[in-house]
Amino acid sequence: MQGVSREPVHNNSLNPHRLAPRALSPRLYTWGTIGPVIVWVALFTIFPFAFAIYLSTHKFHLIQQDHPFVGLLNFERVITDDLFAVAVRNTLGFTLVAMLFVALFGLAAALLLNNRLRGFGIVRALILLPWAMPLVSAGIIWKLMVHGNFGAVNGLLLQFGYIENYISFLGQMPHAFIMVLVAHVWREFPLAAILFLAAIQAIPPELYDAAKVDGAGSLARFRYVTFPLLRSTLLVVLVYETMIGIAVFDLVYVLTGGGPGTGTTLISWLAWTTTFKALNLGRGAALSLLMAIALGFLIVTYMRILRTQEDVT
Amino acid sequence: MNGKATPRRIAGKVLLYLAAILLVIFIIGPLLWVLSASFQLETALFQRPPEWIPQNPTAANYRYVFTGEIPQAYEERGLLRSPITQEALFLPQSIGNSFLVAVGVTLTNLVLGTLAAYTFARERFKGQSASYLFILGSRLLPAVVVAVPVYQVVQFLDILDTKRGLFLLHGAFTLPFTIWVLTLYFQKMPRELEEAAMIDGCTRFGALLRVVVPIAAPGLAAVGAFSFLFSYSEFVFALFTTQTMNAKTVPVLTAAIASNPDASYTLIAVGVILSIVPPLVLAFIFQRFITSGLVASFGKG
Repeated sequence: MQGVSREPVHNNSLNPHRLAPRALSPRLYTWGTIGPVIVWVALFTIFPFAFAIYLSTHKFHLIQQDHPFVGLLNFERVITDDLFAVAVRNTLGFTLVAMLFVALFGLAAALLLNNRLRGFGIVRALILLPWAMPLVSAGIIWKLMVHGNFGAVNGLLLQFGYIENYISFLGQMPHAFIMVLVAHVWREFPLAAILFLAAIQAIPPELYDAAKVDGAGSLARFRYVTFPLLRSTLLVVLVYETMIGIAVFDLVYVLTGGGPGTGTTLISWLAWTTTFKALNLGRGAALSLLMAIALGFLIVTYMRILRTQEDVT
Repeated sequence: MNGKATPRRIAGKVLLYLAAILLVIFIIGPLLWVLSASFQLETALFQRPPEWIPQNPTAANYRYVFTGEIPQAYEERGLLRSPITQEALFLPQSIGNSFLVAVGVTLTNLVLGTLAAYTFARERFKGQSASYLFILGSRLLPAVVVAVPVYQVVQFLDILDTKRGLFLLHGAFTLPFTIWVLTLYFQKMPRELEEAAMIDGCTRFGALLRVVVPIAAPGLAAVGAFSFLFSYSEFVFALFTTQTMNAKTVPVLTAAIASNPDASYTLIAVGVILSIVPPLVLAFIFQRFITSGLVASFGKG
């Protein structure tokens, strides 16, 4: 754009990344652009991670002065703790149910919105709202929805004559657990819906025409055309939602505080209370690392799925 | 849809609309309930069954938040508690804090994220896959996992309870995602235009600025929106690295108001409404870019 290149064109024209920028040496440009980011990210990930490993292998209680090395004792103590078993059970149950409902609701919403009817465009825009707001706000919204003194859910049940007295949804089990689930699904299903909708719209219409010619009804078309082509999206949603489900924290914080009793104590909540309430940093770090290992495993699975998908397409 | 309007077809359409209405109620019903609560006084809110649409709507709660004028009904001490919480007065300031941090994070993502992603997408160099994997790997580290050590880092850097500190934290946790999305985005763009520009004497940076950025604008809008939403909504880090209104963000403050047993529920509702307005407006404006960005970032599309 500014005059003729001084470099002979034939030299590199087939190999664009060899074209050296004039002002900077290529290597300086490369590391100048990614270096700052790597340092920045490392400062808040690698270093904390290493420190978490240090914490987890030391007896580290905030009210004690010395922090002797204890090997894997923290992990042992954490795993054999009764509360750990409860938290793991709660987390697995929560994650499994949440993942299924997010996928189911997402798929149903996507199939619905795929119909090109008047007014559906607005619904497609509205569906982003739960996902776009702060998780904390979503949690408080549901707290006000199911509140035992005035909540809308109680109001509706009363109005239609199902109950005579308001129910304290967050004060008893299994209601509290279900309410955290509802809030979570409400917040997460829009994402699944958007992914499914995009995948549905990417299916070539000829496939449906061919199926119609073969006499397939709408159920058969879903079973044999839509669903098989959504399988990879379904996998992505399931794995991603598993990762999200395992790390749920904000909702528990504003909705139930882990209670009633230990009813909604998920693993992340346990890690939080161990660290910030019991002030046992060593065990908190051990719990966090166990979560990180589980998540790391899932991330690898996730990447694999994405890679095989790219191979297919 | 130009088939004949058979009864069956009409019935199908009606069913679809019914389903859509249910979906819309599920999505915005809870929002409307909180909105309705925010325009009532607590005595009205506690009626059974509730007034679904407030009979005597009042802006007193909002007025209190913005001017400090206590709603008359709450000055009577007849209730068991005094339901006014001073914390609600800080809502506007906390929105300002969140906004400032989020804008900084967004701009940083757009500049540094674009530069780095473009390098990852187009250059070939030693250590590339290692650094790219590092970026990818750090992408999904949940906040709770690194909470304590991150606190130590922030303390060490002497930026506890500052907007700067939050900016640095949120930057570190958004940049990996931005780079991931943009790298995929740039890789899908045809190289020909950039190559032509570079043959004409543009540097790599020049090609990025003059050729790539204008074409990639939708992708940039998407990652900008993601960064903003993440930073604005982030809770765990903001919760334990901020103590005063110097840096407290909206999620931290609304959570504090909501878990204060003395706070009036109507004020909690106001807090929620105010906290969700900025991200919802943004999501609505950028809806198209966010949708396509989401689809692209999950490896499809």
